[in-house]
Amino acid sequence: MSQSLGNLEETVLLIVAVMPDEAYGYTVSEAYHQHMGSRISISAIHTVLKRLEKKGLIASKMGGATAERGGRRKRIFEVTKIGLNTLEQIQNNRMKLWNMMPKLNFSS
Amino acid sequence: MPENVNHISPPGWANRFLEWYCAHDLVDEIQGDLLEAFYHRKDEFGLVKARWWFIWDVMRFFRPSSFGKRSYNSNQIAMIRNYMLVSLRNFSKQKGYSFINLSGLIVGITACLLISLHVLEEITFDSFHPKADQTYRVVMDMFGQGELKTKSAPVYAAVGPNLLKDFPEVEMATRILPFGGGVYSVKKTDGSLVRFNENKAVLADENFFEMFGFQLVDGNAQSVLAQPNQIVLSASAAQRYFGTQNPIGQSIFWRGTNELKVTGVYKDFPENSHMQFDMITSLQSWDGFENFIDNWGWYDFYTFVKTPPNVSQEALDEKLATYLDGKKEEFYAERNVREELWSQKVGDIHLYSTNLSWDMGENGGGEQIYFLSIIALLILIIAWVNYVNLATARAIKRAKEVGVRKVVGAQKSNLMTQFLVESFLYNTFAVVISVLLVWILLPVINSTMDLTLEKSILFGSTILTGLLVLIILGTVCSGLYPAVVLTSFKPVAVLKGKLHTGRKRFGFRQILVIFQFTASITLILGTFLVVKQLAYMRSQDLGINIEQTLVLQGPSSGSSQQDLTDRLRLFRAQLEGMPEVKSFSLSSSVPGIENFAISGFTSKHYPQDLRDCYRVRIDDRFMDQFEIEIVAGRSFSAEMATDTSAIVMNTVAMKHLGFNSPEEAIGEKINPSSQNPWTIIGVVDNYHQATLKESLDPVLFMYNRRERGNYYALKMESTDYASSVARVEAEWDKLYPDNPFDYFFLDELFDRQYKSDEQFNAVFIGFAGLAIFVACLGLFGLVSFTAEQAKKEIGIRKVLGASAQKLVLLLAKDYALLIFIAIVVAFPLGYFLMQEWLKGFAYQTDIGAGIFVFGGVVISLVAFVTVSFKSFSVANNNPISALREE
Repeated sequence: MSQSLGNLEETVLLIVAVMPDEAYGYTVSEAYHQHMGSRISISAIHTVLKRLEKKGLIASKMGGATAERGGRRKRIFEVTKIGLNTLEQIQNNRMKLWNMMPKLNFSS
Repeated sequence: MPENVNHISPPGWANRFLEWYCAHDLVDEIQGDLLEAFYHRKDEFGLVKARWWFIWDVMRFFRPSSFGKRSYNSNQIAMIRNYMLVSLRNFSKQKGYSFINLSGLIVGITACLLISLHVLEEITFDSFHPKADQTYRVVMDMFGQGELKTKSAPVYAAVGPNLLKDFPEVEMATRILPFGGGVYSVKKTDGSLVRFNENKAVLADENFFEMFGFQLVDGNAQSVLAQPNQIVLSASAAQRYFGTQNPIGQSIFWRGTNELKVTGVYKDFPENSHMQFDMITSLQSWDGFENFIDNWGWYDFYTFVKTPPNVSQEALDEKLATYLDGKKEEFYAERNVREELWSQKVGDIHLYSTNLSWDMGENGGGEQIYFLSIIALLILIIAWVNYVNLATARAIKRAKEVGVRKVVGAQKSNLMTQFLVESFLYNTFAVVISVLLVWILLPVINSTMDLTLEKSILFGSTILTGLLVLIILGTVCSGLYPAVVLTSFKPVAVLKGKLHTGRKRFGFRQILVIFQFTASITLILGTFLVVKQLAYMRSQDLGINIEQTLVLQGPSSGSSQQDLTDRLRLFRAQLEGMPEVKSFSLSSSVPGIENFAISGFTSKHYPQDLRDCYRVRIDDRFMDQFEIEIVAGRSFSAEMATDTSAIVMNTVAMKHLGFNSPEEAIGEKINPSSQNPWTIIGVVDNYHQATLKESLDPVLFMYNRRERGNYYALKMESTDYASSVARVEAEWDKLYPDNPFDYFFLDELFDRQYKSDEQFNAVFIGFAGLAIFVACLGLFGLVSFTAEQAKKEIGIRKVLGASAQKLVLLLAKDYALLIFIAIVVAFPLGYFLMQEWLKGFAYQTDIGAGIFVFGGVVISLVAFVTVSFKSFSVANNNPISALREE
């Protein structure tokens, strides 16, 4: 099966995949900023996470509360099997294409 | 609520807002993330930035997905959609009632809207002047022997400039002298003369155009009136004299000899100003202008002042009240008189400046506006009452619907919403249609009622806000009670068909009908009264015969007084030779035109006090020609050389000067201690100078040896007035080529004074009629419904042998009782209101029993026709068709 994924969705999915047990709204947005260089609002991250969850690519559970969250609990996301497969498939497809890239010589 | 661990926290309101809108199961993750972000960001970016960021994020989360699936969300929308659908279905299912209901609302709101437009226009008079709130007119109360004698709109020449000097509260002062009237003429290059009589011409101080918000089209506001012999024309006056030529710098002659230079042209004054001038001459042009600043005796100057924003009217009035004491102390002590200045806001002059003598424009009418507003409100309430009545009457038919809704789980609040939505739809629809109607009808109404309502006001913010309030108020007022009634049905009883529908004698609905008819009857009574009062005023003997009298505006343009006298002699001889001219007389004033000539006189009974009397100069024909009755003595005679120092007075003046009987007065002196006293030679009956709204004034007549006259009155006897007037004009043009021929028939001019009363009557009758119409519409709907309900009862009665008449009576008698109660309530109420209204007239018709009898009969007839119209058709139905239906 193949799910069509937007650019932002793919990035967020990747971020969730690389930070097991600590991916929730705030951390994902911070990671996005850290790795991608640009900022994106927390509400946008929430939307994307919700959409990914609906597509079954990630799953969530309620985590613990901390003082700095005003005692609010986290919703922690982790990538599902389908999510991982999707990521791998995208990566494979891309690699195939990359491999077909002719060796261009820009210097001549 | 979780406590924040830090003292430093995000903005509380934003946090609470988030908690308020956020769905319960989402609040953990959303608020948690935002708080955590805030906590980190405040270290990294600083508190201020973090707070803004937090607010921004809260706003970003404010979207449907965060609200979660609350119960009211999509379901609520679906239900409202359903309510609308059901409302529309009900509408089309019972077209008749819905139509009655809606048309009542439309008529009510349209009437209300029209009146509001009129009221709005009236109350915004003169609001366009710069700093209108701080612009006042200074007026004067004049006391003699401690009594208020006269309230004068104009004040002394000296008041304006001296106030400016003495009062820090006065920033600017402008005087207007209303004496620019007369003939103005312009010589054309081809030698011809353009000439007109102007009566809306004034003189004014140089800052006139800075004081008021009138627009100059041409010329500089600071300089157009700065020099003597400068004149500014209205655009239409400029057009009248100069056509398409540029008037600036041209000469215009006042009264033949005074040359004035046109320095500016202004846009015609807007309709909503109490001032309407065609030409304004600089005040410096008046002889003796230099002495105005010390002239505390001549009070013909309308004086306007501007104050700084921090000065209240009370503070100004307080200082004004005693101001003249300091200036005229000796004079006051000597004569035992006093004068007090006070102020009027320029915007209040139009509506509230009543009982002021020598006022500009047609002012007053504040109470008419008050009465009209009440009518507007009444019509609206009657229309809403209709809605309430019909909606509750229909409730029985809709009981099943309510029952089913309740059974499937509708809460009371849901049903309330449903019926409020329905009344909202009705009211909104009615408002939209009404606005359209007003838009279409406005030109017609303007032309028939002689009003100048503007369409643009309709879409001004005031009216639009008003309409919004109207919709909301209407929804609640007309929707709430039906909603309560409808939702209170017990579902099981309703569905079993056991709804109690017995006819109550005094339910809420009956009380509403009584209210409607009380209002309608009061309006009918009022209508009869205003008609009766106007007819009364017109039918009263004026004490003077003004019929078949052609009045010519006397010439004012001539090379000298002698020239005018010579020409008058010739003109008079010519006209007296004409067969249709029965009599010719000269006077300084005629009835129907305000007389400005007033001064104080003494007599042996009042040797010290100056008693104010109007002066009229007449010739020896005047009394005969106008058929004024001579009570004692005689009128002037051409044979008596001494008559130049003789005086004739009316009986009001006689009493005013202290004489007890005409016989006593004859031979006595007026101003006995002066060098040239007047001798009283006659006393005549009073006649009305103005309408019967005003009381009679004391008048002294002085003799005019046919030398001049402001008005030439011709008593005519002709079958063809048009050609007679043409012949008079031909004679005029021969002798007075430099003076325009302006004429009027005296009875028509006099009648024109009743124009505003006629307007008020037309408006009153029109809207009272509408109110009654709406009330009857409601009654009709209600009766139809009762008749429908009682169809079976009627059928059975009919089968058992009841006649149609009996059945109609059966249906009508409930309503007859209601109408009777309404009559009982309305009569004393109407009597009270009518007395209030009549207080505005000096001569009042008696209210009389006739009005009440007539009013009672009319309303009973109208109600009976309305009721029986439907009852008859029901009573005449084939009983079988009613009984078979099960």
